[in-house]
Amino acid sequence: MRLKAAIIFCLLAGLAATVAGFAQEGHPLTGVWYGDWGPNATQRNHLTIQMQWDGKNVTGIVNPGPDSFPLKLATLDSSKWTVHIEADGKDDKGSPAHFVADGKLENIGSYNRTINGTWNYGTTKGTFKLRRD
Amino acid sequence: MRHRAIIVCLAIVLALITLFVELHAQAPQPQGQGQQVQGQGQGQGQGQGQGARGRGGRGQPTGPSKPTPRWPDGHPRMGALPGEKGIWGACCGSLSNAQTPYQPWAKALYDYRRNNEFEPHTRCKPSGGARQFVTPYGTEIVEMPELQKIFIFDIGGPHTFREIFLDGKPHPANLVPSYYGDSRGHWDGDTLVVDTTGFNEGFWMDRAGSPHTEKLHFTEKFTRSDFDTLRYEVTVDDPGAYTATWSNTFQMRWNGGQELFEYVCQDNNFAPVLLVGQEEKVDRTSVIIP
Repeated sequence: MRLKAAIIFCLLAGLAATVAGFAQEGHPLTGVWYGDWGPNATQRNHLTIQMQWDGKNVTGIVNPGPDSFPLKLATLDSSKWTVHIEADGKDDKGSPAHFVADGKLENIGSYNRTINGTWNYGTTKGTFKLRRD
Repeated sequence: MRHRAIIVCLAIVLALITLFVELHAQAPQPQGQGQQVQGQGQGQGQGQGQGARGRGGRGQPTGPSKPTPRWPDGHPRMGALPGEKGIWGACCGSLSNAQTPYQPWAKALYDYRRNNEFEPHTRCKPSGGARQFVTPYGTEIVEMPELQKIFIFDIGGPHTFREIFLDGKPHPANLVPSYYGDSRGHWDGDTLVVDTTGFNEGFWMDRAGSPHTEKLHFTEKFTRSDFDTLRYEVTVDDPGAYTATWSNTFQMRWNGGQELFEYVCQDNNFAPVLLVGQEEKVDRTSVIIP
C-alpha cells in the first residue's frame, strides 16, 4: 500500500514539475493572479487579477468576466518589491467603490510568486492574498 | 511491509548517490558560465574566454590558426569542413555589465537573480538568444545552403536547436512567442547577421540573469575571423526591460575534432529540486550541470 502511495506521490510530483515548467521570467507582475480578499479571516471573496507590463505601465483587469473592472493604477516599487493597486469597482452590495491595495511581492523568482497585503475602500479595510498561476 | 518500504527507499537513495558520483566523475565540467567569458564594456567589449580544445571546452589553441574556411561562393563556413568534425566552445556568460541601461525593475530582478539562481535552463528549458551558447559542452552550427537554413545545435539544455532562415523572407506577422523566437539571417560581407524576434519570457537570455520581455529584439553578428575564432556581437533591443539598445561582443573558439553527443538534461540534472521546488528550498551546495 505504501509503495502504491509512493508511486502516486511521484506521479503527482512529476505532474507538478510539468505544470511549474511554464515559467514567466519577464516583468514580475505580468500574469494571472488568483486569491481572495475580505475584511477578516472568515469572510473571504474570490479574487482574480490579470496584469501585463507594456514597457512603461502595468495594466490589468480585476475578475475577468461579466463583473470585471480595469485597474486604474498598478505600480511596482522594485527597490522594496512592493505593489500598489487602485481600481474603481463595486463593493459586495453593488455600490461604486474606489479600491486601494498595497502588498508585498514575495518568492519573486518562482513562477508561483505571491502578493500579500491590505486593501481599503472608504473606511472598510481588509487583507488580500494573490498567487500567480 | 514497513521494512520493505524502508529498504526500497534506502536502495533508491543508494542508487542515486552512486549515479551522482559516477556521473560527476565522468561528466565534463562546465566552463564559460559567467567567469571565463565576459564582455568588457558595452558595445565594445571583447570576450576574454578562450574556448576550448576537447569536450568540455577547456584548453588553448596550440598554434597559429588556419585561414577562415569558405564555401565555393566565397562566404565563410560557420561549421566544420566536409569530412571533419568541430564545434564552438561556450561563450557569453553575462551579456550585461555596469553600464547596461536597465529599467529599475529589470535591474532589481537581475540583482535578485544573482543571489537566487532559479533559472529555467537548469530545469531543462530551452534558452534563446545568447544563452544558447552558454552550455558546458559547446555548440554546433550546421549550414544547409540547399534549404537556405542554418541550424544551431547546443548541448546542455533540452537537446534542441534553433533555425535561422536565409531565404530573405521577413518575420511572419503575429508570431506566437517562443523560446528561440523567429531568426532571419543574411550575409553582410563576411558577417552573418541574424535578426530574431518573437521571444517568450520563459527563459533568461544569459547565464547571469539579464531579464527581458516579449518585446525583445535580438541582433547577432557572427564573424569567423580565422579558422579557430568566431566573433559574436549581440545587440539587445527590449524597450520593455531596458531604456536603450545595448550590445556586447564575445569570442568563441573552435574545438576541432569534437562533435556533439547525446545529452538528456532530465537524466543528468543534479539539481532535481529545481524541477519541482520552491526557490527557498534549493540546496545551492549541489552540483548543477544543466
